[in-house]
Amino acid sequence: MTTTVEATARSRTAPQRPGFFKRLFAEYGQEIVVLAAIVMLFAIVTMVNPRFISANNLTTIFSGNAYIAVAAIGMAMVIVTGNIDVSVGALIGVLATISGSLAVAGYPIWFAWLAPVVVGMAVNAIIGILVAYARIPSIVVTLGALSILRGGLISVTGGTWITDLPPDYLIAQKQIFGLPVPLVFMVVLTLLAAFWMRYTAFGRSLYAIGGNAEAALATGIPIARRTVAVFVIHGAFAGLATILFATQLQVIQSTVPPNLELTVITAAVIGGVSILGGSGTVIGSTLATILFATIGSALIFVNVSAYWLRAVIGLLILATVLADMLRRRGRGA
Amino acid sequence: MKLKSLIRHETFLAVLLVVVLIVLSFQSDRFFTIDNLLNQGRLMTEIGLIAIAMTFVIATGGIDLSVGSILGLTAILTGVFWQNVGLPLPVAATAAIAAGTFAGFVNGVIITRFRVPPLIATLATLALYRGLAEGISQARSVRGYPEWFYVLGQKDVLGVPTQLWILLFAAVVASVILAYTTWGRTVYAVGSNEVASRFSGLSVEKTKLALYTASGFAAAVAAVIFVSRVSTTRSDMGTGIELDAITAVVLGGTSIFGGRGTIIGTIIGLCLIQALKNGLSLAGIKGDGTIMLIGAVLILAILASNLFERSGTRT
Amino acid sequence: MRNVVLSALLALSFSTSLSNAQSVWTGGDDLPTNPLACDATPATAAAKPYDGGQPTNAPDRKGKTIKVVDVPKLVGIGYFNATSKGIADAAKEMGSMDAKTDGPSKANIDDQITLIDNYITSGVDGILFAANDPVAIAPVLKKALGAGINVVGYDANSSPDARQWFVNQAEFNGIAKAMVDSMAAEIGDEGAFAIVTSTFTTPNQARWIAEMAAYQTKCHPKMKWLETVEAQEDNILSFNQSNTLINKYGDELKGIFGMTSVATPAAADAVTQAKKCGSVAVVGLATPNAMKPYVGAGCVKSVVLWNPVDLGYAAAYVLRAVADGTLAPGATSVKAGKLGDLSVINGSEILLGAPTVFNKDNIGNFDF
Repeated sequence: MTTTVEATARSRTAPQRPGFFKRLFAEYGQEIVVLAAIVMLFAIVTMVNPRFISANNLTTIFSGNAYIAVAAIGMAMVIVTGNIDVSVGALIGVLATISGSLAVAGYPIWFAWLAPVVVGMAVNAIIGILVAYARIPSIVVTLGALSILRGGLISVTGGTWITDLPPDYLIAQKQIFGLPVPLVFMVVLTLLAAFWMRYTAFGRSLYAIGGNAEAALATGIPIARRTVAVFVIHGAFAGLATILFATQLQVIQSTVPPNLELTVITAAVIGGVSILGGSGTVIGSTLATILFATIGSALIFVNVSAYWLRAVIGLLILATVLADMLRRRGRGA
Repeated sequence: MKLKSLIRHETFLAVLLVVVLIVLSFQSDRFFTIDNLLNQGRLMTEIGLIAIAMTFVIATGGIDLSVGSILGLTAILTGVFWQNVGLPLPVAATAAIAAGTFAGFVNGVIITRFRVPPLIATLATLALYRGLAEGISQARSVRGYPEWFYVLGQKDVLGVPTQLWILLFAAVVASVILAYTTWGRTVYAVGSNEVASRFSGLSVEKTKLALYTASGFAAAVAAVIFVSRVSTTRSDMGTGIELDAITAVVLGGTSIFGGRGTIIGTIIGLCLIQALKNGLSLAGIKGDGTIMLIGAVLILAILASNLFERSGTRT
Repeated sequence: MRNVVLSALLALSFSTSLSNAQSVWTGGDDLPTNPLACDATPATAAAKPYDGGQPTNAPDRKGKTIKVVDVPKLVGIGYFNATSKGIADAAKEMGSMDAKTDGPSKANIDDQITLIDNYITSGVDGILFAANDPVAIAPVLKKALGAGINVVGYDANSSPDARQWFVNQAEFNGIAKAMVDSMAAEIGDEGAFAIVTSTFTTPNQARWIAEMAAYQTKCHPKMKWLETVEAQEDNILSFNQSNTLINKYGDELKGIFGMTSVATPAAADAVTQAKKCGSVAVVGLATPNAMKPYVGAGCVKSVVLWNPVDLGYAAAYVLRAVADGTLAPGATSVKAGKLGDLSVINGSEILLGAPTVFNKDNIGNFDF
């Protein structure tokens, strides 16, 4: 509990030191709320069971869900532009099957890794064109794409699992510099995307498109082309997420992971990406993914009755959302 | 212009539905029979009720993703109130519907009082309500309802499935409200321009609160009908139904950005999806092929209607 | 926010105490259990009269080619691919059955009901099903019987009066005994273990867990059940949940039961990647193909499963026999092609046989 008190004390003293902290809080408010929630959870659960912060459990929390975080990066970008994609879960299922089949069929490993990225970009290019040029709302296009991809996956594979994957292919089980590959993927991609969105003209234009499309058009931003580009980039992230997803185990289940799209969207929006577009960062979406993973693991560690697990997860998500809203309102007053 | 384009989409969709019905009846002689069509009506009632309420919500520019979870929660409560608490079944069902309606009201409060965007608010309650359903039920099913209860979900009244009457009634009432009352116009106004509506003195917050409550109510009624149709309760009931309902609503021409949409469009959209599911199955096409086709129809229908609309604007 | 979190934590501790008060394992159902004897004494089942349903005005299908649809719980998982293959094999062998498999893409009661309803309208002669929920599926199956269609279940039963026969892969208490005995053999009679299941609402899994709890209490009373976690039908989630269990209990955890063909390989992978092979045993229900890497590497010693190809095969033969009228209420056995005579149990069920325990020596012989 001491940590909680300390955290409160810190946030109370914040206003007395304007400048850096105020700016930080103004700009990364939601990220800080999510981070605080993660830290609080870690503190509380570790007191109950110190094994919670063992290296193994940290690996499980951070790298077992890294593919969700990577997919949420692309989703956050799409949502920042005022669009949405409900087909990403089905896409990842399809891409995993393509990648695994290529690896088993004896194609070079790099090709099996590259294929999901390229195919993901191609599929999302079509979605992006339908959204940007045919002017169909993104939720309609991606609801359609969800059905097509899910149905297509089952009719093509008939649901056969992919086994006998070559050991070199299983990159998610390897380590770089003593760190698990998924963790490195997640951190590097999040930072790259965050810098790109903040410091490049292209990246910043995404916020302009989502914030006020007419103004963006007036300032000469090619909205349609940028929208397609964002979907293509999102496709690339879905492909990268697929590499982690497909290589985590020695078998690939060629079905669409249940409710993956909802998990990814939830991570993006709880992380602070405004669903109306125009604000939010990918750091927030990654932190939110980590928050969910931490909650899931923490509740098992503190022996929450398994029947009530999901209710408590829901309550914690709602609490995070409301805390953010109260914070914003406090700032407004 | 707006009204004109609106009519255009629904007319186009109605024509498409007729074409689909004709084609499918040639594929299988068991498709276009009174029995089969009425039976399809029975199967689409739950999604239909939810989609009707969702039409209003989406017309204001909002969305409600928690309907599937409210359905699950209400179903569980119906069983728990009846068997574990010992209330008479009608009282139990009414209490459960009240609870489901309250769940919708809570959505409304979070959205209007705390100003949480609807998508985020209902994503959070989607997890919460499903969790409550699971926790309260302790994964137990409640079965063995009295025979009269099945009238609602499995029997006919005047030769038509009982629940289809409810759907028809809801559709008529909702159409009248949306098309002919001040309140209905408020819904469109809020969806077209929320800020302007607020300045022109419309009660935006009250309208929204009422809509999300109504959405909860619709999901709750659907839950009781669902329980009666399948004669058991499970905490995972209604999983994923939100996407099916939204598909029907947007196929029916309601703009996801708010400001336009009609009940008749939603109903045609629903019928089209149900006809495809059923007709293609009778024509020997497997479930996975059917869902692919429905996805394609959704995109193409909106695409076609966009093209019509644009060519209409030019002339 | 703090208040919310605090009250949530209070609620947690409250519910924890509640769950501790229960003596049964989490995830089991509340139906009566019937644990087998601890040694190999076979159970003596009391003879039960036929309790299945009958189709009304079924046409004479004897010897005619019949159109059959197979509706599994869901399509797209290895297990139901195997049953579907068995049905196709049997249909080909008999030459008088036109069978196809069509199921929901998610294990969803409503989608399954709608599919069956459509096939009733389309006029099939026979329906084979594996129910997502025994009660929810009953109305539509009764409708099928009412339309004169022959209805036979396999893998997951419905209420008995909603179908004619059910091909039982192995009795719940038989599976429970095989699972618990295998675990006890690996981790000893005082070891602690945890369970990874799909969801608590899945009927077969809930039944097995309840029977396992009863059998463990009776025959291995000193084994310790730690907890049961849900992991849907999602292999990455199963993997993460297994890891969390390993991390939480450390050396106390000696074994993990995988209750589904999705959870078991994922649990084995978690144990492999945590380098706990040999110190954490994995016992579970799984298809051999998915388990070959782990069994081959010696990380998993035994996998319990009936042969799902045989299950589908037997179901198809039973349906043929029902349509021909050779399997009628009161029969004590039925001929099922290469499987020979299968016996009738529990009134209206046909028993496939004892579950197979796959190990390093024989797993290579199976391909499904």
